[in-house]
Amino acid sequence: MSTGVPTGITSGFVSCEACGLLTKPVNVHEPGHCPRCGGKLELRRHNTIQRTWALIIAAAICYIPANVMPVMVTSTLTSVEEDTIISGAVLLYKYGSWHLALIVLIASVMIPLAKLAALAYLLITVQRNSIKDQRERTRLYRLVEFVGRWSMLDIFVVTFVVALIQLQPLMSVKPGLGSLFFASVVVLTMIAAETFDSRLIWDSSNCKEEQND
Amino acid sequence: MTEKIDLDNIPEAAIVPKKRMRFSVVWIIPIVAALVAIGIAVQRILSEGPTITIVFKAAEGVEAGKTFVKYNDVNIGEVKTVRLSEDFTKVVVTAKIDKSAEGLIVEDAEFWVEKPRVTLSGVSGIGTLLTGNFIGLKMGKSKRPRHNFIGRDVPPAITMDQPGRIFILQADNLGSVGIGSPLYYRRLNVGQVIGYDLAGDGKALHIKIFVNAPYDKYVTNETRFWEASGIDVTMGASGINVDTQSVVSMLVGGIAFETPSLLKELKPADANAAFTLFRNRATAMAEHETVITPYVLYFNESLLGLSVGAPVTYRGLPVGEVTAVGLEYDQAKDFIHPRVDIQLYPARFMAHVKKSAALEEQARSESGRHVFMQKLIDKGVRAQLRSGNILTGQLYVAFDNFRGVPKVKIDWTKTPAELPVMPSGLEDLKTKINDVLARIDKIPLNAIGEDMKKLLAGLDGMVKRVDREVLPELKTTLDALKHVLKSTDATLVGKDAPAQQEMREALQEVRRAAQAVSGLVDYLERNPEALVRGKTQEKSK
Repeated sequence: MSTGVPTGITSGFVSCEACGLLTKPVNVHEPGHCPRCGGKLELRRHNTIQRTWALIIAAAICYIPANVMPVMVTSTLTSVEEDTIISGAVLLYKYGSWHLALIVLIASVMIPLAKLAALAYLLITVQRNSIKDQRERTRLYRLVEFVGRWSMLDIFVVTFVVALIQLQPLMSVKPGLGSLFFASVVVLTMIAAETFDSRLIWDSSNCKEEQND
Repeated sequence: MTEKIDLDNIPEAAIVPKKRMRFSVVWIIPIVAALVAIGIAVQRILSEGPTITIVFKAAEGVEAGKTFVKYNDVNIGEVKTVRLSEDFTKVVVTAKIDKSAEGLIVEDAEFWVEKPRVTLSGVSGIGTLLTGNFIGLKMGKSKRPRHNFIGRDVPPAITMDQPGRIFILQADNLGSVGIGSPLYYRRLNVGQVIGYDLAGDGKALHIKIFVNAPYDKYVTNETRFWEASGIDVTMGASGINVDTQSVVSMLVGGIAFETPSLLKELKPADANAAFTLFRNRATAMAEHETVITPYVLYFNESLLGLSVGAPVTYRGLPVGEVTAVGLEYDQAKDFIHPRVDIQLYPARFMAHVKKSAALEEQARSESGRHVFMQKLIDKGVRAQLRSGNILTGQLYVAFDNFRGVPKVKIDWTKTPAELPVMPSGLEDLKTKINDVLARIDKIPLNAIGEDMKKLLAGLDGMVKRVDREVLPELKTTLDALKHVLKSTDATLVGKDAPAQQEMREALQEVRRAAQAVSGLVDYLERNPEALVRGKTQEKSK
C-alpha cells in the first residue's frame, strides 16, 4: 500500500465487469453479485493467472504440431504435396515473392509466438509484482488483444482454398492436421488474452495477498 | 433517487459461499492439447520408416518431395532431398521409406531410376510419362537392413524373384544385342539378356542372359548359342541362305540356343556357366574340332570368289575350311603372292574313311599326320581352287589327285606348313589351249603347201598318161571278154544247150532215188524189225 496508482481494491470498490456498475464488494474474498445485472462481481478475475498460464501452455503445445504438420495437402494427378506454414513461406520466397513470404512468416509464425511470449512476460511480471513499465505492459496487452484475431487469416486462406480448389481428378486441396492445431493456437491465445486480467498489472504496487488467491 | 449518489447508501453485496477449487479446470485444456500432440508425435515416430540414401550417377527427373520410391508400382517412400555428392560427380538422393516397407530395405536391394523406355521388345515405364520418373526397387534376399545404396544405371531385367538361371556368353562384340533382347529356344521366347560388360582386358564381351525356369534345363554343357539378330544372309559355295528367328528379333536382335542332338553326354549347365556366342547358327552348330591342322596355300591366280569359311574338300568331301584369304610378300622373289590359310580337321577327314582304325591311330599323333599328309602329296594330291557355284562364282579349295606332278617335300618346320597347289581347272584349260595354239603355230604350213602343190602336179601327169596308154588296151580286153561270155552263154544257158539236157536227166535220176529212199523209210517206220529180220512176205496187197 505504498505509493502507486489507486485501484478499486485500494479504494474498497469493485466495478461490475458486465455492466460497469461500481459497487462496494461484500468483502474482499466474496465480492458478491452485481445488484443491477446480477453478474458475478470479482475484485480480480478468479484464478486468472493460473488459467492464462494453462491456456498459454496449451497454445504453446499446439504451436509445435501447428508448425511441424502440414496445414494444406495438395494432391494433383501426379503427386501429393504437403505444405507446412514454413514450407509455404519458403516456397513463396523461392518463387520470388519475398514480401508475401515475409507476411506469412510474420503473421503465421512470429505473431503467435510473440503473443505467447508477451502473455508469458505479462504473467511473469505480474507474478513477480514488477512495478516497472506498467503503462508499456498495458499497451502490450492491448496490442496482443488486438492482433490476436488477425492470425486467423491463415486459417481463412486454407478454408477458402479448400472450398474452392476441388477439381477432383486433377487437383484437390485438403486441410492438414496442422491447420487444426494452428487454429487452436490462435483461439487459445485469444482466450488467454481475454482471460488475463489486465488490472493485475497495476496491482503490483499493492499488497501481494490481495491480488489473487 | 439515483440522481444523488450517496456513498454511504451503496448496497452491500450478498454473500454466496462457494467452495473454492485449488486448481482451475482450465488446466484440462493444456493437458488435452499435450496429450493430442504427444499422441500424434508418438504415432508419427512409430510410423517412421527408415531414411535411406542412394547414390546415382544421374538422377534424371528425380525431385525432392515429388518422386516416389516404388516397389511393384506401389509407393513405398518418397524422395526427401536430392543433392550432389561431395566431389560433384554423383547424385545423392535421400528417401524416406514407409514403415510398412521397411523389410524391403535390405543389404542386396537394388534401386534405379525408372523412366519411360521404349524398345520394340516391350514398352516399360510408360506410366512414368504421366507420373514422372520414380525410383524402382528390386527386393533383395538378405534380411539385414542397410541404409546406404549405390543406384543402378539401368533397371535390372528381372525385378521379380523369377526362377531361372543366369548364364554368361562370351562374344567378340555386342552385335545387335541389348539389354532385354529376347532369348529363343526353338523360336520360343524363354528369357532375355540382362546385362553385358567388357572382359577385364577389353578384348571380349560378356553377355549375361537369364533363362526362365522351366526352360533353363535345356541349357546343357553342350548347348550352343548364336546371335539370332536380324536377317542372316550368307552367300556361300552352297548358294544363298537366309536365316531369321522371328520378326521381333529381326528388329531388335536376340540370341537363340540349341543343343546338337547327336551329342550324348548332356547334363544341365551350372548357373553362371560360360558359353561362346557364335555369329550364326551354322557356325554354332558346326562340329567343333578338337584337332585342327593349319596349312597355307599359295595360289598364283585370282582369289575372287574365295571367302573365309569356304569349304576345303578332299575329293568332294568336306575336310576343312578356309580361315583367311590375303596376300603375302615374298622377300626372296620380291613379289606378292595370293595366300590362302586353311584348316583341316583330321577327325572330319577320318569320318569319311571306312576301315580307318590304323589310319586313326596314325592321325592321333602330329608326326603321324605329317607322314600321312606327305604320303598324300607324294601320291599326287594337290590343292586346287574350284568354282562351287557358277551363278555366285564362289570358290572353294579342293584336294585331288593329279598325275604326273613333280614330287614335293613338305617343309614341316614352318607353321603353318605350305602345301603344293595345282592351277585351277579353268587355269589349266587356258594353259592347255595356249599350248595347242603354240604348237599349231609351229607347224610349217607354207612348206606343206609347196609339197602339196608338187604332189598334185605329179598326180596330174600320171592321170594323163593313164588316159593315153592304158584306156585303149582296156577297150580291146573288154571286147575279148564279151566274146567269151557269149560263147559260154550258148553252151550253158540256151534252150537246147547240151549241158542243160544232161542236167535235167541227172536230176530225174536223183528224184527217183529219193522216192525209193522215202519208201524204205516209210516201211521201216511201220516195220522196224525189218532192220533185223529182213523184209517179210506180205500176204495181202
